[in-house]
Amino acid sequence: MAQTARPRRLAPFWLWVGALGAVMAAAAVGGVIVLWKGLVVTNLNDLVPWGLWITLDLSSIALSAGAFLLCAAVYLLGLKRYQPVARTATFIGLIGYSMAMLSLFMDIGQPFRFWKALIFWNPHSVMWEVMMCIMCYFTVLVFEMMPIVAQAGWFKGRWPRLAGWMSGVHHYAPFLALVGLGLSSLHQSSLGAVYGVLKARPIWYKPDLSVLFILSAGAAGMSLTVLASMLAGRLTSKARVDDRLLERIAFVVGWVLVGYLYFRFWDAFAMTYTYWPGRNEGLGILTNGQLAFNFWIGEILLGALVPAVLLLVPRFRRQPGLRMLALALVVGGVVAYRWDINLVGQLIMLTYLQNEIVARYTTYFPALIEWVVAAGIAAYGVLAFSLGVRFLNIVDHGQPAEAEIPVPVPAFSPAAGD
Amino acid sequence: MTKQRRLSRRAFLKTAAAVGVASAAGLQYARWARASGPVGASQHRWAMVIDQAKCTGCGYCTLACRAHNDVSPDIAWNRVIPAGSVGGQPVFVPRPCMHCEHAPCVEVCMVGASYYRADGIVMMDYDKCIGCRYCEVACPYGARAFNWEEFTGPNPAVPQWGQPEIERRPRGVPEKCSFCSHRIDRGLALGLTPGVDPEATPACVVACPAKARVFGDLNDPESEVSRLLAEHPHYRLREDLGTAPRVYYLPAREEAKR
Repeated sequence: MAQTARPRRLAPFWLWVGALGAVMAAAAVGGVIVLWKGLVVTNLNDLVPWGLWITLDLSSIALSAGAFLLCAAVYLLGLKRYQPVARTATFIGLIGYSMAMLSLFMDIGQPFRFWKALIFWNPHSVMWEVMMCIMCYFTVLVFEMMPIVAQAGWFKGRWPRLAGWMSGVHHYAPFLALVGLGLSSLHQSSLGAVYGVLKARPIWYKPDLSVLFILSAGAAGMSLTVLASMLAGRLTSKARVDDRLLERIAFVVGWVLVGYLYFRFWDAFAMTYTYWPGRNEGLGILTNGQLAFNFWIGEILLGALVPAVLLLVPRFRRQPGLRMLALALVVGGVVAYRWDINLVGQLIMLTYLQNEIVARYTTYFPALIEWVVAAGIAAYGVLAFSLGVRFLNIVDHGQPAEAEIPVPVPAFSPAAGD
Repeated sequence: MTKQRRLSRRAFLKTAAAVGVASAAGLQYARWARASGPVGASQHRWAMVIDQAKCTGCGYCTLACRAHNDVSPDIAWNRVIPAGSVGGQPVFVPRPCMHCEHAPCVEVCMVGASYYRADGIVMMDYDKCIGCRYCEVACPYGARAFNWEEFTGPNPAVPQWGQPEIERRPRGVPEKCSFCSHRIDRGLALGLTPGVDPEATPACVVACPAKARVFGDLNDPESEVSRLLAEHPHYRLREDLGTAPRVYYLPAREEAKR
């Protein structure tokens, strides 16, 4: 009964871990069923072959975009004071890309042949380029994580020599940031091009998707980093946040949203100019059909307009509650955008018959097992972040940025110039 | 002495690195070239001509295809789609794989599991495919069907419509019409002429009771496909997409009643 104060203080964290673990366990059962019975247990079909798990894959990658943007800001633009936030973003990126790989592993029909994608190349395929970039960038993220893990007290105490070597990787941070910037610029936009190159699907077939994908990923990736930091700062004493830094990044997110809305407007508006069989019908599904609520409310109003106002008006932005709400809305908005874009091209089938224009419309709603597995993958991400906050000091703006190891590449930093 | 040794070692390493990079690039270039174009060269260019004036929509082609290629009853490599009527007679569009000259499925496949054969047939390497379904999303003709579950048990089209001639596909890969490439290859090896000798001709063409389907070599000006295309107006499905299908249709016409 009468427990001591110490375990009681720990209890909420372990309850949280237990709850996430339960969701993951349910998803693991679902995953085994999928591997055993095949994708027939999902609601995917030959008309809609890409569904919830592809949305989760696209969203995880988009929400990881904070890593390359903030690392580029710190190590290439020389905005050193954001270094602690870049740490958080790097860790979130590592989690996000592993979530994406997990959902792809569930989604592909031959999951145990995934390694063939590394051996057999078709460089004409946008998907090939995306896959190569994701593999390489995941490697970059692993290297970027090494100095962070090496700083953790328990790690340094147990494996001091390994920790020393891993800290050394920090010397290459600017180069890793440069490589990460290149790889991410490529695949964050190419994920839009995966859809954009398909001539058979007029609502997708345009260059705009690449631009919209990378812009929305930039906004959402930075949003998630700031939101997760603020949440951690409020929920645990293990996290220390510098609210001025987070507020500045939230301000930048506001402007990125304005840019995104500008391009989104022209993307949608231009579609009404050019009648192309199937394209206007696709736009109709978004604005007036089965995706209309998601489009107007989820993507445009709550996903971009409201948060843009909240983040750009200083009075609103300075209130942490409103700022967190806005950032959460941006995260939700990018997921809604990925869901809508992935589905809209598949819900409308263009005919190949001569005397018809639009063949048929279809519908898709994920099966329970798809939801359970997706929830488990998301729970894995939240759990990994929670453990990172607790054991790796992922959210720690209190320590001086890189006090022990000076960055030896002055050329990249305007402050250290001649 | 030391200096000499160091220099020569460096020179050796340089040369080795250069050779390594060059050979890797060369190998890669050879691979890329192959991914973008057909493998090797062929004297044949296979095509199918479907006369819509003759097609009655009986669906024998679909059943023969299911038997010879051991296709699940849930899947049709070759669908027969009703498409209105001309002069009071119903019109059908039988739809095999179009075997496009610029096939979206081949261009998007990240592992190169969909590829062009030298004779123009668009083939699937079912062992290479990882099951991402990008090809299925990319195909404008709906010619691909994914194996959402394994096809087990007897094939209801066998033996009435023929005997399976190729291996069943595993679960988790999309499958599609191959112009019965196995019949073509075996026929050629036996000295037969695809499109003329039934043993060397796609099963759907052989099974068609109305003789609405004709198969043959476009490189041969004497072949029936070449002759039909030279003599009759014809069209291909969704030519606006630039996919350049190898399946041609002779439209249903009022005067050509069966």
